[in-house]
Amino acid sequence: MSIVQLSGLKKYFDAVHAVDGVDLAIDQGEFLVILGPSGCGKTTLMRMIAGLEKPTAGQIHIGGDDVTDLPPRKRGVSMVFQSYALYPHMNVFNNIAFPLKAQRREKKFNKRIIREKVENTARLLEIDMLLDRRPRQLSGGQRQRVAIARAMVTQPAVLLLDEPLSNLDAKLRANARDELKDFQRSSNITAVFVTHDQIEAMGLGDRIVVMAEGKIQQIGTPQRIYDDPANEFVATFLGSPSMNILSSDGFRFGFRPEHFLPKTLHDSPENSRIFQYYVKRVEYLGSDRLVYGYIHGHDNDLTLAKVPSNVRVSLDIEGDYEFAVHNSDIKFFDTRSGQRIEAQNLAEAV
Amino acid sequence: MIARAHPFDSRRVVGALFLAPALLYIVLIVGLPFLLAIAFGFSDVTVGNTDLNFVGLQNYLAVWENDIFRQVFETTVRFTLISQIFILIFANILAIIFTQNFTGKWFARFIFILPWATPVSLAMIGWLWMLDTKYSPIDYLLLQTGFLGPNGILSSNRNLFWLATPDLSQISVIFVQVWRMTPLATVILMAGLSSIPTDILDQAEVDGSRFMRTLLQIKLPLILPIMVIALLFSMITMFGDMTVVYVLTRGGPVDYTRVLGLYSFQVGIEGGNLAQGAAISLFAFPLLLAMAILMLRTASRAEVR
Amino acid sequence: MGLLGWILQNFWSLLVILFLALVALRIAWRFHRYGANRAELSYILRRSPFYLVVLTFCFFAAAPFLIMFMHTFKTDGDLYRRPQPFVFRQEPTLEHLDALFNNTAYLDFIRNSVLVGIAVVLITLLLSLPAAYALARLTGRWGERAGILMFLVYLVPPTLLFIPMFRIVVLLGLKDSPMSLVVVYPSFTVPFSMWLLSGFFKAVPPELEEAALVDGYNRVEAFLRVVLPLSLPGIISTIVFTFTLTLHEFIYGLVFIANTSQRTLSVGVPTELILGDVYFWQPLLAAALIIAVPVGLAYNLFLDSLVQGFTMGAVKG
Repeated sequence: MSIVQLSGLKKYFDAVHAVDGVDLAIDQGEFLVILGPSGCGKTTLMRMIAGLEKPTAGQIHIGGDDVTDLPPRKRGVSMVFQSYALYPHMNVFNNIAFPLKAQRREKKFNKRIIREKVENTARLLEIDMLLDRRPRQLSGGQRQRVAIARAMVTQPAVLLLDEPLSNLDAKLRANARDELKDFQRSSNITAVFVTHDQIEAMGLGDRIVVMAEGKIQQIGTPQRIYDDPANEFVATFLGSPSMNILSSDGFRFGFRPEHFLPKTLHDSPENSRIFQYYVKRVEYLGSDRLVYGYIHGHDNDLTLAKVPSNVRVSLDIEGDYEFAVHNSDIKFFDTRSGQRIEAQNLAEAV
Repeated sequence: MIARAHPFDSRRVVGALFLAPALLYIVLIVGLPFLLAIAFGFSDVTVGNTDLNFVGLQNYLAVWENDIFRQVFETTVRFTLISQIFILIFANILAIIFTQNFTGKWFARFIFILPWATPVSLAMIGWLWMLDTKYSPIDYLLLQTGFLGPNGILSSNRNLFWLATPDLSQISVIFVQVWRMTPLATVILMAGLSSIPTDILDQAEVDGSRFMRTLLQIKLPLILPIMVIALLFSMITMFGDMTVVYVLTRGGPVDYTRVLGLYSFQVGIEGGNLAQGAAISLFAFPLLLAMAILMLRTASRAEVR
Repeated sequence: MGLLGWILQNFWSLLVILFLALVALRIAWRFHRYGANRAELSYILRRSPFYLVVLTFCFFAAAPFLIMFMHTFKTDGDLYRRPQPFVFRQEPTLEHLDALFNNTAYLDFIRNSVLVGIAVVLITLLLSLPAAYALARLTGRWGERAGILMFLVYLVPPTLLFIPMFRIVVLLGLKDSPMSLVVVYPSFTVPFSMWLLSGFFKAVPPELEEAALVDGYNRVEAFLRVVLPLSLPGIISTIVFTFTLTLHEFIYGLVFIANTSQRTLSVGVPTELILGDVYFWQPLLAAALIIAVPVGLAYNLFLDSLVQGFTMGAVKG
């Protein structure tokens, strides 16, 4: 059952079409990641779900109710901001209690209930020893937990997270990602997570929504989006280094650098497409070698290969080699629209 | 639960609700008198006879053809312009001084702010004594150093009569205006200087720029708009001021230090001719408006960040 | 008179000695810290013209106040007969200070000014706190226009408005009452503090208000519970500067109120302590100085905050 339903959602800022017709259903208990480059409208989309922006057109339903015209506080959502937006004049306890106090009259919360709820949530996030501190006395990781605690304490229908990991340093970030995922799974809350970081998106999301230019490009599991991109944008946006794209007559095709390997490494060369590959430069990345070069007949398109280091094939600069890609790893795109075309017979035309 | 939006949830409603009382109050307390001032200007109202009778442009014409008014207007413009030159020079120097770190800065700043912090009319009492015809401490110093007295260089008299001769009274008023207005201009310039991003100054330092070069080629050009604002701000303040001359000279000797505000006070309130007093002060309005608009245009173009 | 008398009689020498002692101490401290070597000495020498400039400006700014201070304690004989303004030839006296507080309406002036100031500050905050927030965050382009209009109003000088305002004050029956000032002063304090406050409000990160909205509060509550407490330092400095604005005002106070006991400080002192041609110089100068010093201290204390508010207010939001 979908808990959030977006239909025909649009947001125009004068001439800028930040969100340009989005339809999306978010399921109860899922971890949905909205992924896209900066300026793709992902943050605007989330702010519309939160109620911080009014849509130009379209409807938002949360828990079956039309909330399009409701203010944030009436939507049963909560949000973790990129900067965490902890109230600097309140200690951690009061920060977490702040949303509860807003509902005090409506839900008949007394002081004791509020204290209980705050302490329970704090214990869950292992910040119960920090309750007397002010936000500025906390580390980045602690601040993030407080922000999540404040968002969780009212047991919202949906938890919105706006790039909450981007303020943490790299080491903390991997750890925080794990914890966030565990926490979401154990509390079974519906989470919508906005990010421009594909590793975060792949690691966290049950499903990923890839956005560009205000529109949804593809929705699917991380694996589906990676292996089976719907269009050229999704194909090139995910993966690092990104997919090689080459032009051919009437269409374009692409394959990932890790699938582009010396012919001798392929077990079934008959199911593979073989290319003459001229190596220009080799970078050693530890576990992999990143090879830069050109395929014969495509002299304008720099093509990359990612060869595992443990493969003992010597690759010399300015040498010519035979490289191959498995047929199923080649994706085809329409030249004009960029959409995927499923056409086995095209493989022969490459 | 029937969820409905409260008016307080709407940005528009709360914005209007928050702005309305202040706007209303200002329109009533400033707009109304302003319209009344214009109406007075077209009437024959006096303190004794409060009926508004329409007399057309009579007041304005009478004011315009009045030689004293012309002289007063000229004096006001002259005082304002001359004092601005000095204010701008001193304010720039002081703003640069007070955006540096140095020993005793707090105390120095306190001293230098005093002329601005002291209510004008009270500060003028100090100057009234400093410039006193008979007891002026300045005269005493000049006398002791041989500038005054029987064989004095400046005058054979024992006193210069700071507020009693045509030239000196004007110089005195301008000096005192510079003295009290410089801190305000300085503070505005300090705001400008402190808003220059440190990156830019660091870059200049890395590029090998020394103090004077950074000042002349980076800081001053960057705060030029703020400087224009400071200038216009103190011009407008000074143009509308009458307190300094009210306490120091009452416009004398003869009419040499009479400025527009004081003249309108003397005609309108002391002389009881409200209509003509209003007409006099209204003559300042177009000029003030022009300065204000110029200032706002500069401000909107000023993007220091 | 004791200590004060001794200080006054040796005023200038003490001032010079104190200054030199402080300079010597500072130099000694630098030598102690960085070593008494040639480089340090040349640094101090290079720095000294700067301090000379500062000192010159300070002297010009302070001169009238120093004279005020000394003359407060001079006897009439010392002041008027063969005057030597920079020294005491007769024993300093407190009689003029005593006269100022006990034989003049000075205390009335102070009381009137303080009461008017407090009332105006309250009205100003009530009107300008929400209005400034509306300008900073809630209203879009038309709010910006309203803000510019308000600022133009602040620039309209009292000399332009005091005549019609006088008529209105008479009509309201407030002539000769400090209440007239309470009604009229917001005409310039409200635009001033709106401008300053909107600068402080713009400095509050918008996410904090948005967090409050998501956390279950409406816009009014978000303003009261998050924005106001966070802007407290700015609000305090706005209060200080609003209060001093009312303390400074002269023209309205002069025109609206004619009876001595109802006048405010800025009007009462220069008009009531001068009887025709008779100037009561020592009480006059004392009366001015007693107000100048605390206001100057307050300004200095809150100057950084004012500069910050000014900068933020000037930056388009």
